[in-house]
Amino acid sequence: MTATALTAAGAGLVSCEVCRLLSRPVAAEELGYCPRCGHALASRHHHSIQYTWALVVAAAIFYIPANVLPILTTSALGSSDSETIMGGVMLLYNTGSWELALIVLIASVMVPLGKLVALAWLLITVQRGSLGGLRDRTRLYRLVHLIGRWSMLDIFVVTFTVAIVQLQPLMSVEPAPGVLFFAAVVILTMMAADSFDPRLIWDSIATRGNRHA
Amino acid sequence: MHESADRDDLPQATLVPRSRARVSVVWLIPLLAAVVAIGIAVHHVLNQGPSITIVFKAGSGIEAGKTFVKYKDVSIGQVTAVRLSPDYTKVEVTARIAKTAAGLMVEDARFWIVEPRVTLSGITGLGTLLSGNYIGFEAGASTRARRQYTGLEIAPVITGGQPGRQFRLKAENLSSLGIGSPVYYRRLQAGQVIAYTLAADGKAVELTIFVNAPYDQYVDRGARFWNASGIDVSMGAAGVEIRTESLAAMVAGGIAFETPGFAVQGVNADADTTFTLFGDRSMAMKEPNPSAVRYVIHFDETLRGLSVGAPVTLLGLPAGEVRAIGLDVDPKTAYVRGRVEIVTFPERLIARLSPTQAALARNTDRHALLQRLVEERGLRAQLRSGSLLTGQLFVALDYFEDAPKVKMNWNQDPPVLPAVPATVTELEGRITGILAKLDKLPYEAIGADATRALASLDTTLRDASATLKRVDADVTPELKTALEDIRRVLATADGLLKNGVTTTLAGFETTLEDLRRPLATADTVLKSANGTLVGRNAPLQHDLRDTLQEVSLAARSLRVFIDYLDRHPEALIRGKTEVKP
Repeated sequence: MTATALTAAGAGLVSCEVCRLLSRPVAAEELGYCPRCGHALASRHHHSIQYTWALVVAAAIFYIPANVLPILTTSALGSSDSETIMGGVMLLYNTGSWELALIVLIASVMVPLGKLVALAWLLITVQRGSLGGLRDRTRLYRLVHLIGRWSMLDIFVVTFTVAIVQLQPLMSVEPAPGVLFFAAVVILTMMAADSFDPRLIWDSIATRGNRHA
Repeated sequence: MHESADRDDLPQATLVPRSRARVSVVWLIPLLAAVVAIGIAVHHVLNQGPSITIVFKAGSGIEAGKTFVKYKDVSIGQVTAVRLSPDYTKVEVTARIAKTAAGLMVEDARFWIVEPRVTLSGITGLGTLLSGNYIGFEAGASTRARRQYTGLEIAPVITGGQPGRQFRLKAENLSSLGIGSPVYYRRLQAGQVIAYTLAADGKAVELTIFVNAPYDQYVDRGARFWNASGIDVSMGAAGVEIRTESLAAMVAGGIAFETPGFAVQGVNADADTTFTLFGDRSMAMKEPNPSAVRYVIHFDETLRGLSVGAPVTLLGLPAGEVRAIGLDVDPKTAYVRGRVEIVTFPERLIARLSPTQAALARNTDRHALLQRLVEERGLRAQLRSGSLLTGQLFVALDYFEDAPKVKMNWNQDPPVLPAVPATVTELEGRITGILAKLDKLPYEAIGADATRALASLDTTLRDASATLKRVDADVTPELKTALEDIRRVLATADGLLKNGVTTTLAGFETTLEDLRRPLATADTVLKSANGTLVGRNAPLQHDLRDTLQEVSLAARSLRVFIDYLDRHPEALIRGKTEVKP
């Protein structure tokens, strides 16, 4: 909390999100465009909190079918077997490779869930104007943003497996509906992380400070 | 600036951004997500059929989430849980049935585990080798729903909707039959065995068979079923007879049925009719014997080779069969003798008569007829060998005109038929002995000896012929002159006596006359003897010569026969075979 309370927004200035040029806005309501790169200027993301919330809620809803529905249907020698993510984890664990089970559990179950929880926590703390752990929360946001793209790995694995394992009469792998929901969860959380404006975390200092002043 | 200072004191109106108050379009995304998720959930719930529990003795190959319930090879549900029953004796399988098949879960629906089964009559459930076992399902006819079932131990062979009818068979034992054993009609597979149980009293096996639709109409009320398992080899007097339904039946067993000609035709048997399963075809196709008449026959010879069921023939026609073979003690002599009980079927004999005679025969007093046959024509029972190879005996009723007279005794029950000793059984032994001796004979030496002997016989006979000729030529004239001399002497004596003592010796003359007569007789006798014995064409000599020629011919053919026998000793048993060039 030792950081300076002066922000660009507080000073009536606006920083370009693309080229970081600090400029004076045209008016308080209409900030205008960056004089250098021409990007629309915004002191904070438009409706950042609302957008993020909407996307997080949508992702959370899709998270349920993504885990309940099977993601892969394996047909081998006439018997077909549909596996959910957790089913795959259990299978790996039961067949003895608990390390692999742990990796899949973390990458495919814990990470999407963690991202949703993290985003929701960030949103709540921002809305409440919480002043605690600002730096940690920013770091958490960076982490969420960073791992977002890696969550698509599951989808890639499924896609590749389906494409490669096509030994038609003997064995084949087909994607099951769960994988669509899983992809939706990943995409929605990435969009949510994108629409969240981390500067909002620090805004609470200004608001709190003003209120206390 | 006073005014402005005053204005400065006034609170500043704030600008509330419009966007903050407005609900953003972005909320459509979670709304859409919710709709999709709820839609899926509702769809899932609505499509979920009933959950049923099936109790099996063992859950062979059943896995939760992997095993399907299949009806007509289409999955209608999936096993969701497999666990032991509370008392650990059975396996409870819970399955989720598709909503579309919920209506099938009725009271008499049946479940069983389908696993690969390899039997001699076929392989079933081969698909399960790859896909794993599944639960088979068979719809019932009831309309009352049910959720708790007990699984069948064995898959039902006949699945519902298959047209045809079920029948029951009562068999003495199961032999090589089993579930799935084929049922043949005219060597076409017409159905199969679908179940078998031991009868309640444990003394028979009850089989349930299913005869498929086009064939079930041939199961008449008079149909006979028999066990067509294996090869039916019967060695009868007609030779060796081999019967088998099919290769599969030979190995795996089977049942065949047919309606015999004498039975009621064209009246279909009702489903679930119970039939008797006979041991073989001949037993099955035997005519029923409405009027079997029993008799007892006592035999003093061996009964070895006579079996129960052996035929009884009257003049060579089948008239009945042997019912029982035993021993009893002759009350008169206290000797043990064989006792054979036979049954005769007069109806069968009557059936062989012409229609008019048959009508007549039905009205005849059979006792009286039999009595007349026995007492006047000498009808007797005799043991005969049906086949020299097998030594199987049968009882023959034939006429033996010279048999000692017997009176029928109708007071005994069953009445006793008189018997005569077998000829064939003795003959058999003798023939064997003779054959053995014949085998040892030095045929060639005998042949040579016989030839030599015949040659010398021939010369001897020629000598005899010459001697007789000589007798004819030399002795006869002398004999004639001698007799003439005697006559002359006698004539002289006659003259002397006439002249001298005519009167006194009249008596003497008559005496002499008497003497002459026999002499004359002797003369004629000798003459005729001469003609018979030694004349050139004397019949005796002629006959003798013919006879000797015959003997010579016979000896020659005997030699030929012995030569042949030497080369082909088997001809004794087989007869002369044509030698093929």
